[in-house]
Amino acid sequence: MKPRSAFGILLASSLCAAAHAQPRGDFSALATGYATGAHPLLRQFCHNCHSAAARAGNLDLTRFATLSDVRSAAKTWVKVSEVLGQGEMPPKGAPQPSPEQRTRLREWIGQYLRAEAWANAGDPGPVNLRRLNNAEYTYTVQDLTGAPLYPAREFPADSAAGEGFTNAGNALPMSPALFGKYLDAGKELAAHAVLLPDGFRFSRHATRRDWTDEILAEIRGLYSQYTSASELGVGDAVGNVNVHRDTRLGQAGRIPLDRYFAALLAERAALRAGRKTAAQVARQYGLSERYLARLWTALNDPARSPVFDELRLRWRASGPTGAESMAATVAAMQKGLWVFAPVGLIGRQGGPKQWMEAVSPLVAEQEIRYRIAPDTGRDTVLWLSLGSAGDGAEGDIAILDRPRLVATGAPDILLRGHAEATGLDPKLFADGDSLTLRAPAVLKITLPDRLAAGLEFVTTVRLDGKAGREGSIQVNLTTAASAPAAGLLPSEVSVNYSKVTQVFSDKRDLSFVRPILVNEGSAARRRMEASMEAFRDLFPAAVCYPQIVPVDEVLTLTLFHREDGHLTRLLAGEAQRARLDRLWEELHFVSQSPLHQLTALEMLIETFEGNGVADRSQHKAIEPLREPTRQRAEAFRRHLVEAEAKQLDALAAFAGRAYRRPVTAAESSELRELYQRLRAQDLSHEDAFRRTLARVFVASPFLYRIEKVPETGSSAPVSDWELATRLSYFLWSSEPDEELKAAAAKGMLRRPAALRAQARRMLADARVRRLATEFASQWLHIHEFDTQGDKSGKYFPGFVDLRGDMYEESIRFFTDLFQRDGSLIDLLDARHTFLNERMAAFYGLKPNGAGWRRYDGVRAAGRGGILGFAATLAKQSGASRTSPILRGNWVSEVLLGEKLPRPPKEVPQLPADETATEGLTMRELVTRHTSEPMCAACHQKIDPFGYALEGFDAIGRRRTHDLAGRPVDTRTTLPDGREIDGIDGLRQYLLKTRFDEFLRQFCRKLLGYAAGREVQLSDEPLLAEMKTSLARNHYRSSVLIDMIVESRQFREIRGDEASRQAAQRR
Amino acid sequence: MRSHRFSRRTFFRGAGVTMALPWLESVPVWGDDTRLPASEPPVRLAVLFSGNGFHTDEWWAKGAGREMELGKVLAPLSEFREKMYFFNGLYNEEALKGNIHSSQTGNLLSGAPLAAGGEIRSGTSFDQIVAQRYGQSTKVPSLVLACERANPGIHKNYSMLYSSHISWSSPTSPSPLELYPALAFDRLFGDGAERGDKSVLDAVLTEANRFRGQVSSSDRRTLDEYLASVREVEQRIDRAGKKGELQGWRPAIGKPSMKRPADGIPQDLGEHMRLMCDIAVLAFQTDSTRVCTLKLNNDHSYLRFPHLQVDDVGHHELSHRNNADFLKVNQFFLGQFAYIARKLEATREGGRTLLENSMLLYCSSMRSGRHDAKNLPAVLLGRAGGKLHGSGVVDYSAKPNRQMCRLYLSLLGKCGLAMKQFGDATEPLLEL
Repeated sequence: MKPRSAFGILLASSLCAAAHAQPRGDFSALATGYATGAHPLLRQFCHNCHSAAARAGNLDLTRFATLSDVRSAAKTWVKVSEVLGQGEMPPKGAPQPSPEQRTRLREWIGQYLRAEAWANAGDPGPVNLRRLNNAEYTYTVQDLTGAPLYPAREFPADSAAGEGFTNAGNALPMSPALFGKYLDAGKELAAHAVLLPDGFRFSRHATRRDWTDEILAEIRGLYSQYTSASELGVGDAVGNVNVHRDTRLGQAGRIPLDRYFAALLAERAALRAGRKTAAQVARQYGLSERYLARLWTALNDPARSPVFDELRLRWRASGPTGAESMAATVAAMQKGLWVFAPVGLIGRQGGPKQWMEAVSPLVAEQEIRYRIAPDTGRDTVLWLSLGSAGDGAEGDIAILDRPRLVATGAPDILLRGHAEATGLDPKLFADGDSLTLRAPAVLKITLPDRLAAGLEFVTTVRLDGKAGREGSIQVNLTTAASAPAAGLLPSEVSVNYSKVTQVFSDKRDLSFVRPILVNEGSAARRRMEASMEAFRDLFPAAVCYPQIVPVDEVLTLTLFHREDGHLTRLLAGEAQRARLDRLWEELHFVSQSPLHQLTALEMLIETFEGNGVADRSQHKAIEPLREPTRQRAEAFRRHLVEAEAKQLDALAAFAGRAYRRPVTAAESSELRELYQRLRAQDLSHEDAFRRTLARVFVASPFLYRIEKVPETGSSAPVSDWELATRLSYFLWSSEPDEELKAAAAKGMLRRPAALRAQARRMLADARVRRLATEFASQWLHIHEFDTQGDKSGKYFPGFVDLRGDMYEESIRFFTDLFQRDGSLIDLLDARHTFLNERMAAFYGLKPNGAGWRRYDGVRAAGRGGILGFAATLAKQSGASRTSPILRGNWVSEVLLGEKLPRPPKEVPQLPADETATEGLTMRELVTRHTSEPMCAACHQKIDPFGYALEGFDAIGRRRTHDLAGRPVDTRTTLPDGREIDGIDGLRQYLLKTRFDEFLRQFCRKLLGYAAGREVQLSDEPLLAEMKTSLARNHYRSSVLIDMIVESRQFREIRGDEASRQAAQRR
Repeated sequence: MRSHRFSRRTFFRGAGVTMALPWLESVPVWGDDTRLPASEPPVRLAVLFSGNGFHTDEWWAKGAGREMELGKVLAPLSEFREKMYFFNGLYNEEALKGNIHSSQTGNLLSGAPLAAGGEIRSGTSFDQIVAQRYGQSTKVPSLVLACERANPGIHKNYSMLYSSHISWSSPTSPSPLELYPALAFDRLFGDGAERGDKSVLDAVLTEANRFRGQVSSSDRRTLDEYLASVREVEQRIDRAGKKGELQGWRPAIGKPSMKRPADGIPQDLGEHMRLMCDIAVLAFQTDSTRVCTLKLNNDHSYLRFPHLQVDDVGHHELSHRNNADFLKVNQFFLGQFAYIARKLEATREGGRTLLENSMLLYCSSMRSGRHDAKNLPAVLLGRAGGKLHGSGVVDYSAKPNRQMCRLYLSLLGKCGLAMKQFGDATEPLLEL
């Protein structure tokens, strides 16, 4: 048995309080009143036609002999009251009661209905078990999966019941054909599950390839947060290994240093003065906090370092615009400090260890060569400068070994022997054929044409073994006059692969332009090395390999190459590092790359083995990959099996989300049993998993909002989970979110304040757009207006392109109203709306910016509130003309909730096109049409509303003339004699004279939508209370929502006994 | 004996069938495997519907047989005059009680009263009675096709679900409409069943059965509808697995003679309707189903006909114009009917044509755009496997007992379901 909550009692007592204010009916007095007053009148004026035999209008009034007979069919008496109220009965020609008699009868029926309403006030009513309608199913699936999936695309369209909404259980039947569609949809959804090491998630895609690409895209996205994007260049062949030059050189995956330097330069003063921290600057400029701080420290380090000096010099000297030259300085230096290798060669015999490797351009000697063209006809002048490599000139004593001219097939010509002709100082040849120089120095060498034409100038430079032991120099050969550099010149490394075969390269030569000469084992070399290491540490040429998939290489077994150590070390925050690790794990798991890699390797080895001896060397080269690849594949297989159990756990947990409550232990084990049964039918883990997942999507507790019946038989509150579900389907047309479920789990929803708080939170959420779409647009009869196209292409060619925007306007208006807790008066009286540029132009407003925006002051353009929506005006029009009757009827029925008698059959027709009306305007035509006596009574009530809206054409555009060019007349006289003009007149009338009815209708519709049923007599007290409460609270929409969710109707469910009793009352 | 004739499944169906059971039990029925000569092809039943009636002046017929004269709307059918009945003056009493449009269609094929207000209640339509009786014999019990999606909302106190559905599998369940040619094709020929499906269905059945005991009695009825639907799908899987059981008679075609239509709904309405007709014909040719309804448009239809250069208004408005364009659209609709008949006539089956083994009924919810439902338009083609002999006009406009359901009682009888009562009728039409 369910404990009756404190909330329930509280609410019941408040209802009692209200009941005292409104006197409860006295049924014994009513019984007397019936016997002595009402019944005799009925006998006199009604029983003649409404007898058991004649049953006019399918109604027999003679069976109501006593009040208890009346009470068994309260619904019939609501109808009787309506018909009497409209003066329809007794019909013309039949004997009529006197006004006093009529009043007496109506008063009695009124008293009785009030008493009956109060006697059952708060009855939850007959609510059919609700299947998720197509919209709810779609929203729920999207919320559950987090993926933009539309499994209901091909479902039959929903129908409406209850108060006219598609969420009423009795409009949602099930059939084998429909269940077949659910089954297909369930399988389709399951195909979107991505199995992960510790569970599963959903993707918009359904193939392994797409899931892999999705993960890759996210990894690349993370990378690009920290690196400058660079289009990769055209492929460049290195032997048979085709490599993007730019990848090789690390053009991609670079830190955008110019942006960092620019930020530091711009904020230098603020940082120095402590007005800002590095972290603040980083946030301001969208840069990595960690890296910016490191740069700041490094740039301001006063210590000397040959590699850093140039950069620090620029830093100190630069104005705010120096960022690019600073970045260029770093980039130039990087060219000598890093090399890039084809990823496909990694791990092979003789291959590189990684894509980007550190190098130091330090050499003990450097060969200088210069080839002289045979036919220049003039002397060649070379300038050989010796710089001190930025660390002072101490010990910089160099030897130029035997400078000479070399020719093939002839003896070398030593320059020493031609000192005069070459302009070399003979004193420099102190040690024989070689020269000794102290850096910094420049040597000008003239090579006379007669001596040097077609030969090659050659010398080898090294430091003097003793005097130059701790020296360091840089040699530069130019053909123009040059001076030795003051600092360190950036070196440049180039790589040469010799003998590159299909699968490996056995030799890789590095050569440098402008290397630094230092002696092996010298302290100078160690200092230089340390300085370069520090530079590399701070400025890796690339921080990640953003391409990930080395598709540009001819042959690689590597599916995905991860090299982002510098990025995680220098730039990424804690969360991003963890995310990257996770994504890489998922990438390998989802793509199953270890298995693919093994297959590929085995195929390759097989090929080589088949080719015999010729390929033995190739075979040997990839042999070292074999064992590790095999081990990785084995480990991965074990990993897959270990993951199975975790995935099943996740599936059971998912079922709980799908069922909108925790699954029971029995349900959880049933799921596992099904999985096991499927495995026993030889389904793979993945197939069995997906089938079990599909089962959750077709299960009754997912497709239906199952609510347990109270065991007591009487009406009782639904459970916490059921209430959470009611609330979320009311406001979001979807499952409860985590926060709402947490509140339900703690039993919080039984407390009115907590329930209200949840409702408020949910109203502010973006998902409340669904309430606007499902409730408001259905109420206004514009649901799915964006797909409805019955407008004439001849007169309104632009309509089809605009109808989606028209629909969007109305949805945004209601979404905003609910989100900001707007006043219901705004429904009619708003001075704002939401438009994009196209809609603004359509309304004749000046667009105020791109995209959807709030426009204020739209009254001038004839808009504001639901009366002025293009969607409603267009919906209640013909394809080629306006329809004052439809619009008037819409105001009457939809906005005011008036019930009009049915139109007679066999009514004469109006022309469909407003230009083909024999010279009469649509209004004149309608007037003539409805002045026939049998039509006039009703049309006098509805048509004037439509006339007032004649200032809008059939697609809701403002107009002064109709399609035939005749002026439209928007002045009209209402049935009560009041004269109004146009939309403003109608709006004022509705606000001032009919607001009570309008408000009641809105409350009624929202209550019906929330409850999923037709509003019934016993809801009247709640509706009355809503009206008073709204009036006291500035008509704020949340007041209404609060009252609905706190009502017994919303929180309770009928027990079987209560249903039985209610059935007797019908 | 009885348990043999009425499968367990029959009892799980909606209330509509249990209502039909007493009559079923009392008569020996065609289609009962013990009685039917195995060499006889079965009778097929198709109902085509379009809403909003026809041109006021051009829906008529005179005479009988080859001399029969036809109004312009019926011109496309002239080649079938010798196998054609034209009905005049029949109507559904209940359809006169409610509102125009929305309460004239939902009970067209059942004659049942329609619930107003927020409720949904009609009656099981006669085509579905046939489907429920013979559905187990074919891959699909019935095809319920449509070329216009259902209207949402409520019109004058009646759900517009009524104006969008002619087939009802129970009083509270309109049969869902299939709008997608490709999906209709898949239902007939797709081997939808995959390994493990049965285990999945068993699991959800067990689960739903558990909830049956925990919900209110009215919710239990809804769950029963779910249970029956799941079981039906399960049985279909069973049936798909058993092939080649037919003795003697074999359908004209074993495999589909058309390729699977493209996904989605064709842009061109003519193509859409043509595909749906092809699928209906193919279903009969392959004996994949014996009952098919095809709703060409809704009552209160918004359909437009750009391919006929009738593009400025929707069908509903067009019906009020009652002009040459409306006539053109009427003929286009009847052209679909003729197209089906022609294809069936060209298919040989035993000693007859497939058209001669069928009954094709064309009907609408009202006579014309004036909402007149007291003289429902209806045309019947086919020979019901030799059970229909005559042709010509059957005119009840000046006679008593004008129940449309009398026609349905006749057609049910030709299908072997000799019922004593259906809807508001207690006797079949004597003319058939």
